[in-house]
Amino acid sequence: MNAARPATAARQPRRPWLVLIGVVLALVLAGVVLLQVQQLGRLSVALHTGSEVRAAQLHRQEVEYLQLREEWQRALDPTLKQDLRALSLRYDIWVSRVALLREDTAARRTAMSIRRDLDDTLRRADDFVRRADPLMAPELPPVQRRAALAGLQPELMALGEDMRELSLAAAHLTTEEQTRRNLLLSRYTRIAIGMTALLALMVLAFAALSLRQMRQLQRRHDALEALTADLRIARRAAEAHSRAKSHFLADMSHEIRTPFQGLLGMLGMLRDTGLDARQIDYLRTATESADHLLAVLNDILDMSQLEAGRLQLSPAPVTLRHLLQDVESLMRPQAHARHLALHVDADPAVPERARLDATRVKQVLFNLLSNAIKFSQRGTVELALRCESTDGGERLQFAVTDTGPGMDVETVARLFERFERGPQQQPGAPRGSGLGLEISRSLARLMGGDLEVSSEPGRGSRFSFSVPLEPVLGSEAAAAAPRELEVGPPPQRLDVLVAEDHAVNRQVLAALLDSLGHRAHFVPGGREAIAAVQRQRFDLVLMDLHMPDIDGIEATRRIRALPERAAATAPIVALTADAFTDTRERCLVAGMNNFLGKPVSRERLGALLRQLFGSSAGSDAAAAAEPLPQRLDTAPSEVAPLLDAQAVARTVELLSAARYANVLGDFLDQAPATAQRLRKAVRDAQPLELRVHAHATRGAALNLGLAALAATAEGLQNGAAHLPAHEVARLVQRFEDLIVATRHAAEQAGLLPAAAVLPSAR
Amino acid sequence: MPRRRDVLRGGVALALGGAGAAWALEPPSGGIVLTISGQVRNPNDGAHAQFDMPMLERLPQTSFSTHTPWYSQARQFTGPLLRDVLRAAGAHGSVLRARALNDYRVDIPFEDPQRYDIIIARLLDGAPMPVRDRGPLFVVYPFDAVPELRNAVYYSRSAWQLRTIEVK
Repeated sequence: MNAARPATAARQPRRPWLVLIGVVLALVLAGVVLLQVQQLGRLSVALHTGSEVRAAQLHRQEVEYLQLREEWQRALDPTLKQDLRALSLRYDIWVSRVALLREDTAARRTAMSIRRDLDDTLRRADDFVRRADPLMAPELPPVQRRAALAGLQPELMALGEDMRELSLAAAHLTTEEQTRRNLLLSRYTRIAIGMTALLALMVLAFAALSLRQMRQLQRRHDALEALTADLRIARRAAEAHSRAKSHFLADMSHEIRTPFQGLLGMLGMLRDTGLDARQIDYLRTATESADHLLAVLNDILDMSQLEAGRLQLSPAPVTLRHLLQDVESLMRPQAHARHLALHVDADPAVPERARLDATRVKQVLFNLLSNAIKFSQRGTVELALRCESTDGGERLQFAVTDTGPGMDVETVARLFERFERGPQQQPGAPRGSGLGLEISRSLARLMGGDLEVSSEPGRGSRFSFSVPLEPVLGSEAAAAAPRELEVGPPPQRLDVLVAEDHAVNRQVLAALLDSLGHRAHFVPGGREAIAAVQRQRFDLVLMDLHMPDIDGIEATRRIRALPERAAATAPIVALTADAFTDTRERCLVAGMNNFLGKPVSRERLGALLRQLFGSSAGSDAAAAAEPLPQRLDTAPSEVAPLLDAQAVARTVELLSAARYANVLGDFLDQAPATAQRLRKAVRDAQPLELRVHAHATRGAALNLGLAALAATAEGLQNGAAHLPAHEVARLVQRFEDLIVATRHAAEQAGLLPAAAVLPSAR
Repeated sequence: MPRRRDVLRGGVALALGGAGAAWALEPPSGGIVLTISGQVRNPNDGAHAQFDMPMLERLPQTSFSTHTPWYSQARQFTGPLLRDVLRAAGAHGSVLRARALNDYRVDIPFEDPQRYDIIIARLLDGAPMPVRDRGPLFVVYPFDAVPELRNAVYYSRSAWQLRTIEVK
């Protein structure tokens, strides 16, 4: 405001000044042009009819007269020979001069202006000529001519006065005229100088104004530059602050997570210590609060990582149906608790598998669904998955629709702002960190997708979360086929060395390992861990990253450098609450095998141990899995049993009977669709596709112990390229027949309840 | 040898600006009206080139009408071009000093007759000019055809009652 006001005030009076200068300049220039045109006119007149020439002519007149008079005098001298030719020539020249004054020329006009009685003079001259002409006749005798010439001489002399006067007056006239012209010239010159001075003045004024304007522009420019510089500095400072804040948050959440592990672990153990109902109730509340706190912490950590640009996705092939099932099974209790119906639905066009970061996709869906459940009092919450084609290619769209109170435009606009909570939040409903939607949208965008919302008061809300669809390649499809397995004891008792400086964490880990049937050995630091592995052979080393003296990474590096092969090759897994990807990379670079985030749960520890030792040669259960393909190879597919009891038993042991039933039911539900795909591949003569589908199906069937189906699938896989079409078609038909037979056999064997109610994703 | 002289003369004629003027000037038969003295290659009387009226008449004639400061109206002047007369005399130099019967003298730059169609007028409106009528010869510039000639300098070079031209 302050800067703008003087600028406008200064601009107002300048405009009339500019106009004035412009008008004066134009007038002066016009005057100069006018003056010069006038001058040119006068000059050209003077040039064409120069008064000098006229004066010279009149002067010449007198000269000729005088010469005639002289010649005349000579002719009168009797002692000289009379020269008629010379006299006659002089006479004629003088007459021609007089004739010039008779003609209407500039010379005559000048003469007239000097002598009004010019014509009288001319008449006298004519009289003289008339009388002198006969004297010039050659036949006249010289004596007679002399007498006549003498008689006429007084008249000739009388003309002299007129001639003289004309000549003198002409000279005077010329002087006058010249003087007048010089005066005029000097006046013109003075005017021109005046105008030039005025012109120069105007130009100076104009230059001054321009200079002022330029200075003002420069000042404004400088001010803007300064402002820009200030803003740049401010932005850098803000960015630095933001980074510092993110680091602080990450550090804080790390610091909080470590004791938290102890808290959660101890709460878990406390449950098994024979508490009364009231204590169990207290414990449940404490655990819920702790869980909530952990969720908030996770949100904050996610947010700080997102802001620092350090959150990295790890996409992998995912069975979309399983993903939806996981989400549904987790959200159903919440929906149930609030008496809401939960529908999960997938469009048939959605592919079976896709490449995405399942954990992050689930995180977004959990957030959207728990919001929907939180804000709906009755009705239905729906999660629908479908494919949509956009300009950027195929996309997966997860739509979460609720029948809640909806939101007005203003609320929708503020929805993604940090710590913004819905205004109509139900009292008593679990409160979030207020970061959920922001994190969800940031995650969606990080995945190359987006999160959009449409809502109307009273009409419910619809959150649409879309990600680009990355199809799973054939080689990945096989790898993704077996379902990620859940809790189950690993097949052997392991000696585990735990390097951990925190006493509470040591207790928790001891309890966890013990409950999984393993033996835990503890050391308080990195140095002791190095000594321990050299002393004794361990199956696994769990290494805390943050330890005094020698930290986990350094300890790992030293262990890997040990000369004893057994000690140097022991699997080492990092333990840390620091969930950043670069930390993870540092661990792997140092030679660690894996990474276990804090707080360590029984499930995650179990999964890790299975991953490391589940298929080791020492495990009996794992050993049985390997020979299976050989057995199938040697046996014709027609004679393979419907169910391989041993394989079934092994899987049941791993999964639990209920879970096995679940997975088996899914597989059999999906099998007809698989058969359709196989048939289509045969019809379209796509051996590669046929082989990919067959391979994936065979892997799943083998894991579930469905030997006959696996064998048929293998036959299809092997024969896809070279078997005649009718043979392939026969195998597909057999596959379809076997689905029904296998289901029947499973029900007979009690593996599958006859009326199994499965959460359907169809 | 005669051949060589012919060639030489032709070269001189070419150098002077055209063929047809390279013959030796004939001697005048009647009253001399114009004498060209000074640097003259084709003299016919001692060192001078003399012209009588018939000699001038035999040269190619040019005729134009123009206003002059000496007559109230435009008048028609007829006569040979000054440059033809000079060529006939074999004149070469930088200045032509024109002299009139009344001893009026004026210097005409040699380039003037090359640049402008100046004539030595011998007829005024088709009639010969007596001395009383500023004759018999009158140097006339084409004032009407060339505006830049309309000033005192060229008016003064327009000598009337022309008698001699001295080539310097």
